[in-house]
Amino acid sequence: MANFTLAIANKNYSSWSLRAWMAMREFDIPFAEEVIPLDVAQTKTKIARHSGAGRLPVLHHGEVRVWESLAILEYLAELFPGKAMWPKSRAARAMARAVANEMHAGFQALRNACPMNLRRPHRPLAAGLSEEVLANVARIERLWKDCRAAYGKGGPFLFGKFTIADAMYAPVVTRFETYVIPVSRASRDYMDALIATQSFRDWKEGAAKEKWIIAADEVA
Amino acid sequence: MAEFHLFIGNKCFSSWSLRPWIAMKQLDLPFEETVIRLRQPDTKANIRALARSEKLPCLHHGRRVIWESIAILEYLAELFADAHLWPKDQDARALARSMSAEMHAGFLEFRQQWGMNLRRKKSPKPLEGAARDQAKRIEDYWRRMRASFGGGGPFLFGHFTAADAMYAPVVSRFDTYGGTLSPDTRAYCDAVLATDGMRQWYAGAAAEPWPEPSPDE
Repeated sequence: MANFTLAIANKNYSSWSLRAWMAMREFDIPFAEEVIPLDVAQTKTKIARHSGAGRLPVLHHGEVRVWESLAILEYLAELFPGKAMWPKSRAARAMARAVANEMHAGFQALRNACPMNLRRPHRPLAAGLSEEVLANVARIERLWKDCRAAYGKGGPFLFGKFTIADAMYAPVVTRFETYVIPVSRASRDYMDALIATQSFRDWKEGAAKEKWIIAADEVA
Repeated sequence: MAEFHLFIGNKCFSSWSLRPWIAMKQLDLPFEETVIRLRQPDTKANIRALARSEKLPCLHHGRRVIWESIAILEYLAELFADAHLWPKDQDARALARSMSAEMHAGFLEFRQQWGMNLRRKKSPKPLEGAARDQAKRIEDYWRRMRASFGGGGPFLFGHFTAADAMYAPVVSRFDTYGGTLSPDTRAYCDAVLATDGMRQWYAGAAAEPWPEPSPDE
């Protein structure tokens, strides 16, 4: 099989990049990484080389170029059926895809108010949380609870073992953590399990070494 | 009772609902349909009570409740593997999923400026700013997929796939607001508009008794 190269953005800020990267690490899929810092001169030209959409992450595999985190993960799940990147049972898989897609297209209020910023000291958002953000948080906690209740018996993740659904929610976990958003005991346990993964720790270490600052994503 | 039950919003403007609906029609899959009127004080409660969901569209299959248009399409693609709801070729399938995922989460300005409204009179409305680039990118995807994989039929990957379903609301927007389209964009739009699924959806929209959306919204 051809080698994989994953083009990603800054580890400190790029929530989309974290998803694909973390899943590939958790499922032991070897790849080369190319980091393209966002918001510096030449970023657009460099991204354009990888992706017509002007977006990261992008996975290169031989002649194939796959973009959008969820499409990348579907592609890999097909290439490595033995790794069970989605849950094995059809019912669980359907639910995993629903929650993953809801993350992919939703929760705008939370994402806008609380940008992923791994270096930010953990403290509540100075402006407080709007009603819309709180509604997003409640919905996310509900989804986690439903997944864990229905399928979480075999481990600490949404569907027991780590799956693509967890990778999709990893950037949400970091936001809850960074902005000290109050959550239930069960949500806290889930967050701790995700934060304790080797892949997440490695990503965070990479983020800590970066020097780039994106002013728009630094909120008080 | 049909094996499948799809819960959707108003056909005149619920672009999310159109996606799984047209795919199920193109798959020739019998299903029961419930339309839940959007933008009403009790919409949320109705979605919860009837669809047992927070969002539309939502598919019930036995005890399974599946929401999000792409998740529903992936579910159907797995159940009916022989229908090839995703392209057969692995590289083509990767592209189909990438452009579908981008549609699912992106093109926000385009979607806002050209809101799906099947009641609106067809007349050109120029796009501004980012939306214009997004329209160009969409047309570029269509052109490239048609050129690389479209040999076997009039759709993006030849036969009708989930990618066509995901872009069906975009087709209606080009048709409504786009004015004179480039010949290849026009040809692709016409192919989608001519499907049984799309014609039945438009007929359903025309029969809706509710005042919303207004024709010039």
